[in-house]
Amino acid sequence: MRQLRIALRLVLMQIRSQMEYRGAFWIDRIAQIITYSSSLAVIWLLVDRFTELAGWRWPDLLLLYSFHVLGYATGAAISFTQMRDLEERVRLGTFDSLLTKPISPWLYIVFSGFNIGYAGHILLGIALMVWALWIAPVDWSLLTIAYFIASLLSAAMVTAAFLTMIGLTALIWVRSNHLYSIFFGFWELTRYPLDIFPVGIQGVMLTIVPLAFTSSVPVAVVLGKQVPLLGDWAPALALLAGPFFVLLAVLCWREAVNRYQGAGG
Amino acid sequence: MVEVIEVRSVSKTYQQPKRFPGVLGALKSLVTPEYTEVKAVADVSFGIRKGEAVGYLGPNGAGKSTMIKMMTGILVPTSGSVSVLGCTPHERRMEIARRIGVVFGQRSQLWWDLPVADSFELHRRIYDIPAARYADNLRRFAELLELEPFLDRAVRQLSLGQRMRAEIVMALLHDPQILFLDEPTIGLDVVAKDAVRRFLAEVNRERGITIILTTHDLQDIETICPRLIMVDHARLVFDGELGRLRSALGSARRLTLEFTTDPGPLPLTTAVLTADDGLLKHYRIERDDVSLVDVLTEVGPGREIKDIALEEPNIEEVIRTFYQRRNTAVPA
Repeated sequence: MRQLRIALRLVLMQIRSQMEYRGAFWIDRIAQIITYSSSLAVIWLLVDRFTELAGWRWPDLLLLYSFHVLGYATGAAISFTQMRDLEERVRLGTFDSLLTKPISPWLYIVFSGFNIGYAGHILLGIALMVWALWIAPVDWSLLTIAYFIASLLSAAMVTAAFLTMIGLTALIWVRSNHLYSIFFGFWELTRYPLDIFPVGIQGVMLTIVPLAFTSSVPVAVVLGKQVPLLGDWAPALALLAGPFFVLLAVLCWREAVNRYQGAGG
Repeated sequence: MVEVIEVRSVSKTYQQPKRFPGVLGALKSLVTPEYTEVKAVADVSFGIRKGEAVGYLGPNGAGKSTMIKMMTGILVPTSGSVSVLGCTPHERRMEIARRIGVVFGQRSQLWWDLPVADSFELHRRIYDIPAARYADNLRRFAELLELEPFLDRAVRQLSLGQRMRAEIVMALLHDPQILFLDEPTIGLDVVAKDAVRRFLAEVNRERGITIILTTHDLQDIETICPRLIMVDHARLVFDGELGRLRSALGSARRLTLEFTTDPGPLPLTTAVLTADDGLLKHYRIERDDVSLVDVLTEVGPGREIKDIALEEPNIEEVIRTFYQRRNTAVPA
């Protein structure tokens, strides 16, 4: 309870800090809308031209895109900018100061760096999803609704766990940011169905960089499509991926904090 | 008196990946990483009693910050044991954190864009400080360090001196038993340094808070810390009263005399000639009881002096002198 109150206070302080730079905040939001609109436009153009991508039509692809945006934004809101800036905290030594406070450094970093910018992503994701659900051919039942929500949470967990595991390498190697470009390289591919990629890339996206679990695997399950390589295991694996990678991230975080050497000096 | 800190044969070795030049080299260090071991602290032992104020001193890279980080639970020693208030800091990090205060001179713990008061309020919640005690501490410390005029200003608008005063007050709000300060006066102007020093000496005296501070500035030690621990090249080289160090070392001041005409070689008994550039002569005054007047008297009235510069030894120099002589002069 105490931790929760502190977390809430950290979020409020962070929002007030961000509001000190309102101009930058709104420019950032506009840039975001333009970026997302253009990536969605690319998908629309592709479908307009070829009618479908590996059996996925416009409503399917729209659902996939909205799931990709919403799952990512929910996970990234509690991990991306915070963990990207961990490198800076280590370099400047402010991570050291955190370790001298009676509070979990993870909790402090995540909530004091809470990025309200993601509210924009989340609203966009919800709007697109409402549109997609309106037109997508899903046979809804209580079970599919529950599955859909659970797999969305699992996607957010995979995203947060991965972004966290990349960031925490800064605790050991001081630098981590180059690894994010690898992550985002694969992340951009998750806007498209897994089926369109060669088997090698499919394999990578289901194992080493398992971002397929943040979009095309669960969405294919909901749409009743076959998932390459996973087959009948797909529904269960999509749900288990989140808790599994969160657990892995927690273990890695503990190990990294224990092995932390500081930036030297 | 109870020992609040016990450091026994502590060493800390950092593993640093070896870097090789060029792209191939970068690839090599990625595929088959090799490490060099850098010893930051080597076999250091000391004990600190409740209520003491101790200066931890040494040149850059001597392992001062590393020792502070091991005592505050940030780093784990490679060997040996550290005990703070009866606990091993890195094992009981949270528990120790409630009972100590930490100030890093070069890294702020305040929220840059928000008023100082907001950071204090967050601190109150993180440390669970009862409201009455918090109000009382804040009022008293804020008064002593004159924080009131800027409590409501954003931290980014404060001067370095104001910010450091705020950092120190924040570290004391939860009534810590031990206060660790890593270079608390670095970069401050003379007035701010003086205010910080007087305040720290006072909280040590009045509240019995144990203080351990690292510094480059001998004046910090003189005002705040009767006891001095000196390290160099990772090892402890001196532990004792400042007075003892000084009397053992004497004060090797440096004197430069500039003459209008070259007086030729000019050896003196009161000072040792260390360099002779003709018009400019450099001396070292090794004995404490020799004054500038004594030296000038010996130089005599016949030689016209254009300029005189007398330099007190800085801390780096004291340590160097000390290090060179420690085998014969002072038992470490």
